[in-house]
Amino acid sequence: MTPTRLFRICRHRVQSIWRREALDRAAARELSFHFDQLVAEHIARGMQPATARRAARLALGNRAVLQEQMRDARRAGWVHDALQDLRYGLRMLRAAPVFTCVAVASLALGIGANGALLGVMDALRRQLLPFPDDSRLVVVKTVPLETPARSANASLPDYLAWKDRVDVFDALGASLVDERDFGAEADGVPERIYGQLVTPSLFAALGVRPAIGRTVTDDEARSPRAAAVLILSHQLWHRRFAADPKIIGRRVRANGVSCTVIGVMPPDFRYPDERTQYWAPLPINPIQARGSARYFVVTGRLKGGVSVTQAEATLAAVAAQLATDFPERHKGWGVRILPVRDALFGWTSTPFLTMEAAVALLLTTACVNVAGLLLARGTTRRPEIAMRLALGASRERVVRQLVTESLLLVFIGGALGLIVARWCVRALTSTFPAPGALAIHHVSMDTRMVTLMFVLSAVVGVAVGLAPALVGSRRPLSSIGSGVAGTVRSRPPLWGTFATAQIALALVLLAAAGLVANSFLRLAGRDLKFDAEGLLTFDYRIPGVEYTRLIGSYNGFPYFEVTQSPSIDLQRVYERVQRVPGIESIAGISYPHLNSLIVPEMTLTLESRAQSSPGDRDGLTASYFLVTPNLFSTMRVPVVAGRDLKNEDTGSTPWVAVVNETAAQRFWPGENPIGRRFTLDIVPDERPREVVGVVRDIPTRRAQTGGEAVIYTSYLQQPSRYRGPWISMFGQMTFLARTTVAPGSIVSDVRRAVADIDPNRPLANVGPLADQLDAQLQSRRSYAVALAIFAIAATLLAAIGTYGVMAHAVAQRYHELGVRIALGASARQIVSLVGGSALRLIAIGLATGLVMALLGARFFSFQLFQITPTDPLTFAAVSLLLAIVAMVACVAPLGRALRVDPTVALKHE
Amino acid sequence: MPKPSDLLQGTLDLLILKTIAREPLHGWAISKRIQQLSDDVLSVQQGSLYPALTRLEHQGWITAVWKDTDLGRSAKFYSLTRDGRQQLEREQENWKRLSSAVGLVLKRA
Repeated sequence: MTPTRLFRICRHRVQSIWRREALDRAAARELSFHFDQLVAEHIARGMQPATARRAARLALGNRAVLQEQMRDARRAGWVHDALQDLRYGLRMLRAAPVFTCVAVASLALGIGANGALLGVMDALRRQLLPFPDDSRLVVVKTVPLETPARSANASLPDYLAWKDRVDVFDALGASLVDERDFGAEADGVPERIYGQLVTPSLFAALGVRPAIGRTVTDDEARSPRAAAVLILSHQLWHRRFAADPKIIGRRVRANGVSCTVIGVMPPDFRYPDERTQYWAPLPINPIQARGSARYFVVTGRLKGGVSVTQAEATLAAVAAQLATDFPERHKGWGVRILPVRDALFGWTSTPFLTMEAAVALLLTTACVNVAGLLLARGTTRRPEIAMRLALGASRERVVRQLVTESLLLVFIGGALGLIVARWCVRALTSTFPAPGALAIHHVSMDTRMVTLMFVLSAVVGVAVGLAPALVGSRRPLSSIGSGVAGTVRSRPPLWGTFATAQIALALVLLAAAGLVANSFLRLAGRDLKFDAEGLLTFDYRIPGVEYTRLIGSYNGFPYFEVTQSPSIDLQRVYERVQRVPGIESIAGISYPHLNSLIVPEMTLTLESRAQSSPGDRDGLTASYFLVTPNLFSTMRVPVVAGRDLKNEDTGSTPWVAVVNETAAQRFWPGENPIGRRFTLDIVPDERPREVVGVVRDIPTRRAQTGGEAVIYTSYLQQPSRYRGPWISMFGQMTFLARTTVAPGSIVSDVRRAVADIDPNRPLANVGPLADQLDAQLQSRRSYAVALAIFAIAATLLAAIGTYGVMAHAVAQRYHELGVRIALGASARQIVSLVGGSALRLIAIGLATGLVMALLGARFFSFQLFQITPTDPLTFAAVSLLLAIVAMVACVAPLGRALRVDPTVALKHE
Repeated sequence: MPKPSDLLQGTLDLLILKTIAREPLHGWAISKRIQQLSDDVLSVQQGSLYPALTRLEHQGWITAVWKDTDLGRSAKFYSLTRDGRQQLEREQENWKRLSSAVGLVLKRA
């Protein structure tokens, strides 16, 4: 088709719709011209004018019919039909405002939420990753063969074996999370910055080149100590170094070491997570290469033509070989290869799929609701429709008109759904970036999402409208005369089913939301066993290089020796901050409470049981913290026996320890632990420690359930030499200060006080502890709230649905009820008659819902804390709630049934 | 005078296109011209002419302007578009193939 013809056709189409009257007039003129010519011809042949006119009329035919045919030829008829249907539909919707509002609101919520979730999940699938040809990029994980769902990262021996023994990767690189304190001398304040230690091959695998400068060379990553070089993220370069064009070669102090900046990555580069701001070489020395800790993220680029399955099979063979050669490290471990997209965004799948299931249920409920209401109205409109059919409207025409009405409803809902979706997308992308993962970028209400919602609306519209339309248009002629008071048996059986289905779906959603909310409340409201209000917290540390020397490796982690105790520096900070006005008391603990990924574990030997069998050893481990004096009084944790650590406990006094109640129970059951002595294993220069106090248990992790033995010792009473994986605990402190003023108000004073000691060492994670604890719960809270909103919406829909069904049932039986009352039925009998059917309906709905919810519950048991997925209390509560809501919805219809006036009802027919 | 034959369905479009190929004509003139050129054998059903013209116009094959006739009345004059001219050629080809095929059948059967 040529463009000019296309243009011509379009113009005609548009004109035939918009200039219908003008075209009709033109056609009439054209026909009358023809008519006049005919008449003139006839007269010319000698006819009388009157006869000529009659002949012309006969020849030309009915001009109105001709005009109609010309209109058909313009192919605009359907548009006008549709416009007519639309106008009619709008009138009908305006005539029933409550119905319209309810239907539109529920559809808007359902369509909007579904559109947003599907859109975000789709955007994640398509999201442009900052790596070329990312389909070949994979992350290699190790999996315990016994529990394959719990995959881990890789150990160094794994990485080295994969790198050396297989031929499926173009490049394979490893990275390890790292953090460094950047000094004050750069541009501004000292701060702690998160980065990654990487092998040089990682950048090759990712296929990314720096925007300026270069990446790490193999020489720079050679053991024992990697070169002090840094590659900055584009963001860090801009933020901290003001995009200094001469950044390459500049020296920066990080962790007390002067490092050279060798490159800046491109602006959109992020790997492997959002907060990574620099990359430094990861040294691999021969001792470390025997470690078994699985902390390394291994990223590889598959060779062209090698599939994930092939690569996995090849690596599985290597894993099997490793398990035979080094059973103590590798036995029971297999391999899994994830496409990089899954590895980066895999965290979204569980919450998103759960929520999608919830909003899909919600939309289904909304559809059922609207379909039920339409069906109800269809029955009410039976006479009208029968009349139209009798007057010659084709069934197709009537169905089309009814579907137009539902489509109208759905598209108004869909349009409002866009607003809901916009809101949902913002909520999803802002509250859900999990720590340590890539955030969801560039998700917006793009055309794709709008198209998706449009399609969704259309599908919903037809689904919702077609059934009622087909049922509604099947009415025989005889129903013209009969009004709402039709025969008793004319209730369509679909009805009750619609209401029961809604109640069942609502119960499923309510149960899910109830379980998640219950679990959240338990988690958020759990007694943390200390008073977090009024505490200011901050982390402080002495860089490891200043007090340690690398001498080997333990479980893949470098194995150091303490060369110079960092406790002197910590003590100076501790004593200096104590003098800041507004601080009532201050104390420190080596790992932050409730917020540590790792808590050191120590094995110990009890003095009184030194000769006991080696089998006891397994039980004799405890979490181990170094603390300052007065920790428990500052945190307001009760000391149940003995005393807190005091300022008098110093390096020159006998070594002491405080244990928690679980430790006391486990190590000295039935005895008084005060005065007992124990020695930590492995640590040379360790001295026996005497227990001087027992404190109440405080959880070390938010979701910790069982009791955990904990030992607290003074940071001043530590060995001068230490070999082990937990070396950093000596140089770091999380301080907690109980303040007499608002904790947030003295942050800058504290900062200044700390800078007095050493201006190059930053405070990290500064802020009121209560706020930080609250922030930890943020994403769980949003999740619970979102589910609750969906569940409440579904409950309301179910209530409206039940109301609709009951109201209609009463209207249907108006005549019958009238007869019954006229024949002497008491109010009680009427109530039991109408109420009985309502109760049956609700009961069936609840029972179905309970079965569905119980079947579905086990799918999210792992999202729950401290309750089982079939928690009887939750199920009872939500069932009761729903039953009450549904019954309340029946009150008004019941009232109407009681007020039926027999004289009116009987006259009605 | 024998009654003029009804037009075969579908050939009307071809005749209209051919008739206005030489000069723009209004509906009345088109029907007269077809009748004349066919020696009064073909007569356009007065009624079917105008829907056909409308359809052709909406398919982009012909275009129309209002002009005064010789007698001073204004009428709608139809003429071929460039696309219409190509369409006419195609239709003529089709017609020739069809009529020769029919001819063959009649001759050989």
